[in-house]
Amino acid sequence: MTGDPKVLKREWTTAEGWRGTRAGMWAWLIQRAAALALVVVIVLHLRNPFLLLVQGLLLALVLLHGLLGLRAILLDFGLPVRLHRALFAGAIVLGVALFGGFWLWRWY
Amino acid sequence: MILRVFRYTPGAPERMQEYRVEARPGMTVLDALVEVERTQDPTLAFRYACRVGMCGSCAMVVNGRERWACRTLLTALGAEEIAIRPLYHFPLVRDLVVDMVPFVEKMKAVGTAFVPSHGAAEFALIGSDSLERRQIDPTLECIGCGACLSACTMVAHDPRFPGPAALNRAFTLMADSRDDGKVERWAPLLSEDALWRCHGQANCTEVCPMELSPTDSILRLRRRAVMSLLRSHA
Repeated sequence: MTGDPKVLKREWTTAEGWRGTRAGMWAWLIQRAAALALVVVIVLHLRNPFLLLVQGLLLALVLLHGLLGLRAILLDFGLPVRLHRALFAGAIVLGVALFGGFWLWRWY
Repeated sequence: MILRVFRYTPGAPERMQEYRVEARPGMTVLDALVEVERTQDPTLAFRYACRVGMCGSCAMVVNGRERWACRTLLTALGAEEIAIRPLYHFPLVRDLVVDMVPFVEKMKAVGTAFVPSHGAAEFALIGSDSLERRQIDPTLECIGCGACLSACTMVAHDPRFPGPAALNRAFTLMADSRDDGKVERWAPLLSEDALWRCHGQANCTEVCPMELSPTDSILRLRRRAVMSLLRSHA
């Protein structure tokens, strides 16, 4: 045998590669994706601050990114990791509720 | 039922090979592999020893998730086709067999051997109801199957990252008042590629067949590191 031994890595381009993806990984991925999307939406918002669609997107992404960040901080500060799924669900539910509340208050 | 099994021989390209087995009640993935090896293909290589979930040697990736083949019922997978691969992030030996040396090397890299205090008592002095025991006990049952290293995305990204099992073991020692290796252990733990590399995705905790939470151990070590830093500057 020549060269380094072969090492398998998860193939993210296949359905099988994603089948083992669980709540903690989704929470991490969604928070990062929201951060990237925020960069684009903030630029759009600066160009035209009065577009309702962009305002809505901005609020949704800020809530998503911020609340998932709060989840990570709570775990960092000592909440047991066994609660991480509940915290993920709680962050999503709270985000939807806050968005809905703001929508009814200001935009509806 | 169809088993799609990863086949690999050094020097030859890998492939997925299909085998048909009749799924009987109570049949595990390991039972199915043994049946294939005995009745269809004696060249199929996989590792097992106890067959009852005690040794951890049959850890593999079944339908995208790390599991022990001996504790995974075919019927519980709820699929007619099952993909079986070796653990990720370990050097392949053949087919489903991986080389576990990196697991041991990562353990050594963060100093996971107990260092007895000078003049320590012969027997443990830590009471079973003490905080120290309550913190350490839930972390002790690792049997070294390697499932957590396979599930960890940071192990894939950074080969120097010690991984969940080694960091979990390090926590058991850093929390142990009888251990005298803490100062030396902080150096590798606080290096660029160790504690702070964990992204807290909890993939290790999700797949651990022993239901340990290496993520908890890593976060506890981080808090200890910050507290010791604050104390040293107080």
